[in-house]
Amino acid sequence: MSFAWTSKLALAASLAILPVTSWAQAVNISYLTHWSPETVALLEAAAKDYAKTNPDVSVTVRAVPFGDLLTTLRSQGGGSDGPTIGGIYDLWLPELARDKLVAPAPDAVASEVKASWPAGVASAASVGGKLYGIPNEIDVYALNYNKALFKQAGIAAAPKTWDEFKDAAKKLTNKDAGQQGFGMINSWAAGVVHPFASLLVSNGGELVRDGKPALDSKQAGETFELYEELIKSGASVPAMATADANTTGPFLDNFVSGKTGMIIMANWWESALRTGMGDKFADIATAPIPVGPSGDKPHSISYSWMTVVNANAGEAEQKAAWDFLAWLNNPKSGKNGASAMSDILMSMGILPSRTSDIEAHKDKLGSDFLSGYVSVLADAKPFPVVPGGQEFSESLQQTLEALQYGQVSAKDVQATAQADATSILERAAK
Amino acid sequence: MIQRYRASAGIMLAPAVTLIGIFILVPMMLTVWLSFQDWSTQTPFASASFIGLDNFREIFGPTSIGRDFKAALANTAIYTALSVVLILPLSVAFGLMVYQHDVPGGTALRTALFSTYMVPMIAVALVWSKLYAPGEGPLNQMLGIIGIGPQPFLSSPRSALISIVFLNVWQQVGYFTVLAIAGLTQIPGSLYEAAKLDGANRFEQFRFITLPLMRRTLLFSAVIAIINAVQVFEPVALITQGGPVGSTSVLTYHIRRVGIERAQGGLGSAMAVMLMLSLIVVVCALFALANRKDQE
Repeated sequence: MSFAWTSKLALAASLAILPVTSWAQAVNISYLTHWSPETVALLEAAAKDYAKTNPDVSVTVRAVPFGDLLTTLRSQGGGSDGPTIGGIYDLWLPELARDKLVAPAPDAVASEVKASWPAGVASAASVGGKLYGIPNEIDVYALNYNKALFKQAGIAAAPKTWDEFKDAAKKLTNKDAGQQGFGMINSWAAGVVHPFASLLVSNGGELVRDGKPALDSKQAGETFELYEELIKSGASVPAMATADANTTGPFLDNFVSGKTGMIIMANWWESALRTGMGDKFADIATAPIPVGPSGDKPHSISYSWMTVVNANAGEAEQKAAWDFLAWLNNPKSGKNGASAMSDILMSMGILPSRTSDIEAHKDKLGSDFLSGYVSVLADAKPFPVVPGGQEFSESLQQTLEALQYGQVSAKDVQATAQADATSILERAAK
Repeated sequence: MIQRYRASAGIMLAPAVTLIGIFILVPMMLTVWLSFQDWSTQTPFASASFIGLDNFREIFGPTSIGRDFKAALANTAIYTALSVVLILPLSVAFGLMVYQHDVPGGTALRTALFSTYMVPMIAVALVWSKLYAPGEGPLNQMLGIIGIGPQPFLSSPRSALISIVFLNVWQQVGYFTVLAIAGLTQIPGSLYEAAKLDGANRFEQFRFITLPLMRRTLLFSAVIAIINAVQVFEPVALITQGGPVGSTSVLTYHIRRVGIERAQGGLGSAMAVMLMLSLIVVVCALFALANRKDQE
């Protein structure tokens, strides 16, 4: 056979094999998140870094508003074409795992998570002893207040007790200037329930005890009454605190424009506050949740987020997804011993949960704004992760909003909230 | 001969009947069947278990499921009624205005009216959410000029649903104006000439000629307006998320929350069946009323 013929045959064979081998190795995975375009760009940059050592894996990032995240996961996660990776709120995990929408983590990933994350955070990513996701962020609630408004109202320090809190809210209220003392959010389930739950735990109460709702306690009654008092006194104006699908809207607008003196909010709002306030962000300070009459010391609510893998994705996609997530959360993927994921989170003011990430970001976590959150983390109580948790949150949101808008009394709200929660959690547990 | 005719008619109808059966009847029957089952939307149909009327008892019961469903049903009814009550008279009024051939700018007005219908609802919802914004919103600024204080619009349970209705009316009225114009063109001009000769004034011409002869058009418009209004979803999902205090939670949005977000497929199907039955009852009542008028 001549050299020319040999070359032609070799070329033909190579061409015939090339598409097959490249198709067999190339894996496309998609990552569903609710992050803003700026943060999505950081994740895309991290995916590009990963592709340098893993050229056969391509990661596509897709973002939807927070309000649509669970629906998208539920409606598209049931098929192999749905998102391969999803960022989820820990409250959703029990039901997503029950419905087999998320895959258990491989042993190597599970061991790494158990060794490198605080036990409480790792347990929030587990159902029935099986780990389903790699935790990334931890969020905790604290009191945010506007120092400039405090100065104008003659308030020297952040309130430490509910009495001081009510007094400060009253002093900060100026109806003529359209200014409210305390912003009580509505139209967003977690936004409504988490601040309430933070005040409740700071008053010695709990939302759920041993899997059963505990909203009929004395501590819960006092918390409902606190809400009623703030509304009746005019220190909280519900119409100034509406949120939209992107968790922005009048609630955020009124705080950043200095029309609201205090709010109870999580650390991840730092980027929204910075963007909205510019230089005036320096006026914002953080303090622990005021302690109620039945509480012993400041507590607040914490919750975590994690990344999970679609149980219906192909084997190669699942393998690539876990590998990418393991890299993304590894201390070598970011800067100065931090993971790439933690660098992305810190860009939004979100606390990373991996122990080595907290160490690596020690300086930034010591900033005026974030240090207030870091300081309350130790005494924070995790938001109860139970089957039916999302429905429970939405139901409590409705009853709290009815109280905020003066449609029902604190006493009636307490009875309704407890009855609804009991029926929801019992049904979900079946 | 007749048999052969029936066979050929059957063959010709078969494709259309099959398509309607597959894409309309089967999903409808499936929804009805699921409404009697305990079923998670994330599991196969085979996992559904028959529970009789429990889902219907639940959605009309005293628990949060029942309260939320009944509130969503009431909100949908109010939204639909207000939309129809505002859209139909406005469309006739606009139709009469732009139907006048000798009015300068009539075509431009017609185009402007219809253009709102061509704007996607997502854009309409986003723009109107900014128009309604408290404080710096243009509507509140305009009200401020005439001495009226800022209105909460979407931030108050009293006004949020009505604010969404106005948004819907603004978008839909152009389409119904076109329907009204089509109805007006069907009325012979000779009737108006005869009425004029008999001394009828403009109002009497409208009352005794235009309105009665537009009854069929108005019936069609009412049915379409009701169906459109019942299906409202985007402005609620984009702007209010059903709040505040569930005041804008309409059935389509609530069914999505129950059926997809919470994966309670049986309950969601029972709610969808009730929505479908309500719609059938209302539309049948409208047709019955129109037939009675025709017979009179």
